[in-house]
Amino acid sequence: MADGRLHAVFARAADARAALQRLGQDGVAPENVEVRSSVPLEHDVVPVGATIKSRIPWTSLAGATVGGTAFFLMVKLTSEAYPLPTGGQPIVGLPPAGVITFEGVAIGAVLTTVATVLFECGLPGWLKKPGPLDHHIALDHILVSVKCDEGASTAWTAHAVETARG
Amino acid sequence: MSGPAASIHEEALVRPLSGFRPKLFFGSLVTGLLVAVLFYSWGYQIVNDIGVAGINRPVFWGFYIVNFVFWIGISHAGTLISAILRVTQAEWRRPVTRCAEAITTFALMIGGLFPLIHLGRPWIFWYMIPLPNERGIWPNFRSPLMWDVLAITTYLMGSILYLLLPMIPDFAIIRDKRLREYPKGLKTLFFRVAALGWRGTPQQWFSLEAGIKAMAVVIIPVAVSVHTIVSWDFAMAIQPMWHSTIFGPYFVVGAIYSGVAVLMVAMYLLRKGLGIHEYLSDKVFNNLGLMFLAFAMLWSYFTFAEHLTVWYGNEHAERAVFDGRITGEFSGFFWTMIIVNTVIPLLILPWPKGRKPLGTAIVGLGVLVGMWIERYLIVVGTLSTPRLEYTQGFYTPSWVEIGILVGSVGLFGFLYFAFLQLAPIVSLWEVREGEHLTHRAFAAEQALRAGREGASHG
Amino acid sequence: MTRWGMAIDTDRCTGCGACAVACHAENNIQTVGEVEAARGRAMHWMRIERYYEGVFPDVKVRFQPVLCQQCGHAPCEPVCPVYATYRTPEGLNAMVYARCIGTRYCANNCPYTTRYFNWFAPEFDAPLERQLNPSVSVRPAGVMEKCTFCVQRIQDAQEVAAQEEREVRDGEIKTACSQSCPAQAITFGDLDDPESLVALLARTERTTHLLEDLSTEPSVIYLRGGR
Repeated sequence: MADGRLHAVFARAADARAALQRLGQDGVAPENVEVRSSVPLEHDVVPVGATIKSRIPWTSLAGATVGGTAFFLMVKLTSEAYPLPTGGQPIVGLPPAGVITFEGVAIGAVLTTVATVLFECGLPGWLKKPGPLDHHIALDHILVSVKCDEGASTAWTAHAVETARG
Repeated sequence: MSGPAASIHEEALVRPLSGFRPKLFFGSLVTGLLVAVLFYSWGYQIVNDIGVAGINRPVFWGFYIVNFVFWIGISHAGTLISAILRVTQAEWRRPVTRCAEAITTFALMIGGLFPLIHLGRPWIFWYMIPLPNERGIWPNFRSPLMWDVLAITTYLMGSILYLLLPMIPDFAIIRDKRLREYPKGLKTLFFRVAALGWRGTPQQWFSLEAGIKAMAVVIIPVAVSVHTIVSWDFAMAIQPMWHSTIFGPYFVVGAIYSGVAVLMVAMYLLRKGLGIHEYLSDKVFNNLGLMFLAFAMLWSYFTFAEHLTVWYGNEHAERAVFDGRITGEFSGFFWTMIIVNTVIPLLILPWPKGRKPLGTAIVGLGVLVGMWIERYLIVVGTLSTPRLEYTQGFYTPSWVEIGILVGSVGLFGFLYFAFLQLAPIVSLWEVREGEHLTHRAFAAEQALRAGREGASHG
Repeated sequence: MTRWGMAIDTDRCTGCGACAVACHAENNIQTVGEVEAARGRAMHWMRIERYYEGVFPDVKVRFQPVLCQQCGHAPCEPVCPVYATYRTPEGLNAMVYARCIGTRYCANNCPYTTRYFNWFAPEFDAPLERQLNPSVSVRPAGVMEKCTFCVQRIQDAQEVAAQEEREVRDGEIKTACSQSCPAQAITFGDLDDPESLVALLARTERTTHLLEDLSTEPSVIYLRGGR
C-alpha cells in the first residue's frame, strides 16, 4: 500500500470478476479501479460502471479517405504543375492515379489505426511507475488494484485476500 | 474456469532474450561477415561505377532486379499469411504469426534496398521521392517504378507496425519479469521503453485487438497490390513475354508460394535451434504444408497457362523467348525450376508424412531456388532476346553481383538473429489467449454435459 | 507545328558506317574499348544492322541503319520515374541527362534497343578529347543516352533563322549522319511541312516503319523495295 493503492492478484478470471462486482456493490468508482492482465479477458471482467469502447474502424475509414484524397490530389496537381507529355499519354492518367490513390488509402488507414490505438491506450506511458506485484501479471495472473485515498472498504480487502489465497 | 496459462514451455521462448547464447552469437557472427561482403561489394560498385556489374546492353537488368523481385516475394511470407489467418480466425496461427511477420519486415527491407543498389546514380535516388524543391524535379507518377516506390513504402510501413503492435504486450510481460529479476539491466531498460508503458487494462486490450483486426484487413490488399505492381514493372513494358495480363496474379501467387517456402525453412530452423516444438508443432507444419501444396498447384497452373498462351499464339518475338526457355540456352534453368517447383512439391506434399517438418523444409528450400530461377528467367530470358535479332545479348554476373546476392541472404539472417534476441519469436500473449479459449470451451462443454446428465437423471 | 523526321533509304545504304562514325564525333559519344564492347557495351547511337537473306551460297546482305526512332507513342517515356525523358513539342524524344538516375527502365522498354547506358565515366583516348563538340554535354557514368536527332544543330539553325526573321528552310538542318552519308541515303526534315523532301519521301509507296505493329508511331521512315 506504499503507493496509496491496494493490489490483489487473482489466478482465475471468475474470482477477479467476483471481486470487481463486490467493489461495484461497495460503491467504488470505476476510475479508481484498475484491472490488468497479460491476455485479453472476457468482456465482463471490467470495473463495474466502466465503459470500454474503441473508435476503430471509423477512424481507420476516415484516415483512408484523407489518405486517398491527398494522394490523388498530389498526382493531379503536381502533374498539372509539370505538364510533360510522355508516350502520348494524358497528363493526368486516371489508371496510374488510381493505383497511387489506392496506396494512399492504405497508408492513411494504417497510420490512423495505429494512432488511434496509441491514443486510446494512452501510450506511450513511460512515466507510470511499475507496481510491486507487476511480475504476477507476467505469470498470467490478473491484477486488480484500487486507489484508496479515502480508505478502501475493509470488507473488500478481506474478500480480496481470501479469494486470492483460495 | 481457466487458471494461468503461462506454462513451463514459455521458458524456451524467453530464454534467447537474456544472457550469452552461443548459437545466436555464432549465427550473428557468420551472417554479420556476409553483411560485410554485401556492403563491401556495394561500396566497390558505387566507387567504381555501375559498370563493375555484369549487366550490359540489351540485358540492362540483371541479378539486382531478380533479387529485388525475389525478396519482395519472400516478404509475402508473413504479413499476408498472418493477416489471412487472423481474419479467418484460424486458431493454429497463434505460434506462427510473429516469426512470419518478422520475415516480411526484414525481407522487405532487403528487397527495398535492391532498386537502390541497381541505380546508375544511387546518390540521387531521392529524385523519386515527391519532395517539393526549387529544381523542378518531380516524380512521374505514370511510371510503374513510382507505383513500386509508393507500394513498397506502404507495405513496409504497414508490416513494421503490424509486427510491432502485437509485440507491445509481450514486451510488457518481459519487462514485468525482468524488473523483478534484473531491475538495473540495460536490456530491462530496452524492454521498458519498447513496452511503451503498456498496462494491460481492458480498454487497452480492446483497442489493441480492434486495431490489429483493422490492420489485418488493410494489409491483405496492400500485399496483393505490392507484388502486382512489381509484376507491372514488367507487364507495362512491351517486351516479349513481359507484356502479359496474367502477370499480376501470377506474381502474387509466386510470391506467396516463395513466402510459404521460406516460412517452412525458417520454422524448421527455429524449432530445431530453440527447441520450441510445443509451439511450432507438427500440426502447424501440416496445416501450412496444405497451404504450401495449394500454392504449388496454383503456381504450376499459372506457369502452364502463361507458357501455353505464348506457344499457341506463336508470335515471332515471344516464340524466340519461349524457345530460349524450353529448348534453348535457358532450358537448364527452366527444367530445374519445373522440377523443384512443381514435380517435387506435388510428389511430397500430398502425403501426411511429407508434411512433417523436415519434408516441408526440404521442399521449401527447393522452391526458394526455383522461385529465384523463375525471376531470373523472366528478367534475363526476355532481355537477352529483344525484338531486333541483331541486338541479341547474353549475361554473366560479375563477382560484385554474386557478392551482393550472398550478402543479402546474410543480411536477412543477421537481422533475424538480432530479432531473436530482442523479442519472443512466438507471441506469448496470443498463445496464452488461445490456451484460455481452449480451457473455456472445454469447461463450457463439461458444464453442458453435466447439466444434461443431471436432467436425464432427474 | 514542326515534327522532325528522317527518311532512310535502305536500298541506297552500302553499310559503310560513316554515319556511325560521324555521330560519335558530333555527339561526344564515348568509345568504350574492345573489352567493354565484347561485353555488349558498345555505344553507337547510329548502328548498322546486318541481315542476311537467302541460303548459302546465294546470300544477300541487307543493311539497316538503326537509331532512336523518336516515337510518337514512345514506350520509353512514361516508364521513367523522374521525367528524364519526355516528348518535346517538336516531336523529339528528349533526354534530360541531369535528371537521369539510371534505372535503365527506358532502355528495357525500347523495342528497338536504341538506348545506351554509360556504364563507366567516359574516357577519350588522346587526342580525341580535343575534338569534343562544345555544343553537346559529355554524359557522366550511370546515365542513359540516345540519338537526339542532333538537337544542337536544330537549335543553331532555329536561332540563325530567328535572327534573320525567317522560317527554317528545308534542308538547312542536316544531322551528322545524313551529312556524312556518301550514298545520300539519309534525309532529315520537317514531316509536317508538306513541301519538305522528307515529307515527300514519306508519301511514296516505299515507306515502311520498323516494328510497325507495335504502333509506336516512329518518326524514322525506312524506304525499301523500289527496284
